[in-house]
Amino acid sequence: MNRTLTILVWLVAFASLAMLPQLLTIKYYLHLSILALIWVIMAQGQNLIQGYTGYVSIVGAGFMGIGAYSSTLLGIHFHLPTWATIAMAPLVTALFALATGYPSLRVKGHYFAIVTLAFNLIIVIVLINYKELTNGETGISNIPKLWGGSRDAYFYLVLVLAACLTLLAALIARSRVGEILLAIRQNEDLVGSIGIAAWKYKLFAFVVSAMYAGLAGALYAHFQGFINPEIFGVAQSLDAILAVILGGSGTIAGPVIGAFLVVFLPELLRFADSFRLILYGLILVLATIFMPIGIVGVCKAAIRRLSRKDIRSDA
Amino acid sequence: MLIEILQQTINGLAIGGVYVLIALGLTTVFGILGIAHFAHGSVSMFGGYLTFFLVTSQGLPLIAAIPIALVVGFLLGLLIEIVAYRPVRNANHINAFIVALGLTMMVEGINLQLFGHEQVVIPTGLSKVFRLGGITVPELRIYVIIAAIVLVAAMMLFVEKTKTGQAIRAVAENRDAAILMGVNVKSIPLIVFGISTSLGVAAGIMVGALFAIAPGIGEGFVVKGFAVLILGGLGSFPGAILGGTVLGITESIAAGFISSAYKDVIAFVVMILVLLIRPQGLLGRSP
Repeated sequence: MNRTLTILVWLVAFASLAMLPQLLTIKYYLHLSILALIWVIMAQGQNLIQGYTGYVSIVGAGFMGIGAYSSTLLGIHFHLPTWATIAMAPLVTALFALATGYPSLRVKGHYFAIVTLAFNLIIVIVLINYKELTNGETGISNIPKLWGGSRDAYFYLVLVLAACLTLLAALIARSRVGEILLAIRQNEDLVGSIGIAAWKYKLFAFVVSAMYAGLAGALYAHFQGFINPEIFGVAQSLDAILAVILGGSGTIAGPVIGAFLVVFLPELLRFADSFRLILYGLILVLATIFMPIGIVGVCKAAIRRLSRKDIRSDA
Repeated sequence: MLIEILQQTINGLAIGGVYVLIALGLTTVFGILGIAHFAHGSVSMFGGYLTFFLVTSQGLPLIAAIPIALVVGFLLGLLIEIVAYRPVRNANHINAFIVALGLTMMVEGINLQLFGHEQVVIPTGLSKVFRLGGITVPELRIYVIIAAIVLVAAMMLFVEKTKTGQAIRAVAENRDAAILMGVNVKSIPLIVFGISTSLGVAAGIMVGALFAIAPGIGEGFVVKGFAVLILGGLGSFPGAILGGTVLGITESIAAGFISSAYKDVIAFVVMILVLLIRPQGLLGRSP
């Protein structure tokens, strides 16, 4: 696909999403769409570290939790306006990400995944047990909302943020930094051998992905009005990984499609009720075995094949 | 104070035994196949659930239920290798790990579906308590510790002394050379998965008898298992044994003296510290 066409597709996608509040008559679908857009932010962040850099981080939901709790608690204790606490949440998350990323990025592959997972477990344990601050498992309710809780307005806020952050992710991916991240995924030793300090770039990707997650968490908290530690458990971190894999890791459109899938798929599978977890796991296993390049990857391959046929039939 | 430390050390030995068994399974799978078998915890807990089911619903004596669960575990291990991991053998290692995550979700879902949400305790009927000085030792803990030692010893003997064990070590050492020497590299992963899963099931039964099995605890155990590997050094048997025992005792003492709510945090902090100071693990070879 050439550049203008790509931009055109993105604009059409943005415009059709922007019309959703007018088109959706069932308000519940609008609710889900807002969640999906929040997950777009989450998945774009996850894609930076997982898709581009090749490090599967399982602490996404934990960072989302740090963003959600810090925004909520800053609002409660310092009486800051909500928009300000939402803006501060990614910064707080970045501090935690620096502290956790430095030790965990010393190990590679599976071990990185396990260590980040341990961090997610620690975050949840602390959220549960530090009751004075977090109110424990009961969670915090009545979190202030923006614009008196207007769903339509919040939809547009989240849509614009998701679009901007997708653009930012695309810019990072196309920059020299993005190229180095891709190179790290392919052969980290080689990157080191030509004199590039890979750890700086890995830490950068890790922290930026955490900031995405922190912002997503804050947006989630002020949308739902309620948070508790369980929401930010390992299961949700796995959802973020699933979103990236299903959509297409290392692509910009992938996380967008993946985010909508992980939010809407459980709703579609609702008929399966208690089999949901099994089905979900099965989809993840099958997708990884048979479609490791994700939906976007499959589409790209199909388009390439089609256009090749066009050329042949023209000739 | 000293008595309290001794008491917690003995408590820690039992849980340490569980960690060692889980870690041995993980370390063999990792050593041979390079797979971080994340579903190991959930599969182990499946074994615990199964034993509970056989004892309570089917009325089997525990002594009969345990071998059945171990055999089922072995078969389950074979199935997992063939269906889930074999297809991604030659793909990127990340893919194998994501398959493992999906598998975890499936096994957790199956556990919920078959055995429900309630936490279960395997009835053993072993309720005697020995007193030595000021220390109390429940009979059950002693059996658990003995069983763990026997299983670990058996595993060591198998890997060190038998022909199959040699083949396993050969594949771990150098896969290509092993193929050239006529080792059947198709059957080795099967055997490894079968045995590892059996060991995991044994650990699951111990957890069910000592504490309780509930949805979601498998994840905690598998992460502890990996923490043990990191503590002891990858692919190292003595490392796994030392690491598991150290983790069990540390955790138990920390729970007794600092805070039981944060005991898991302490285990993970130890793991992260080891990574920072000695990334190759306590007994690992330096890279």
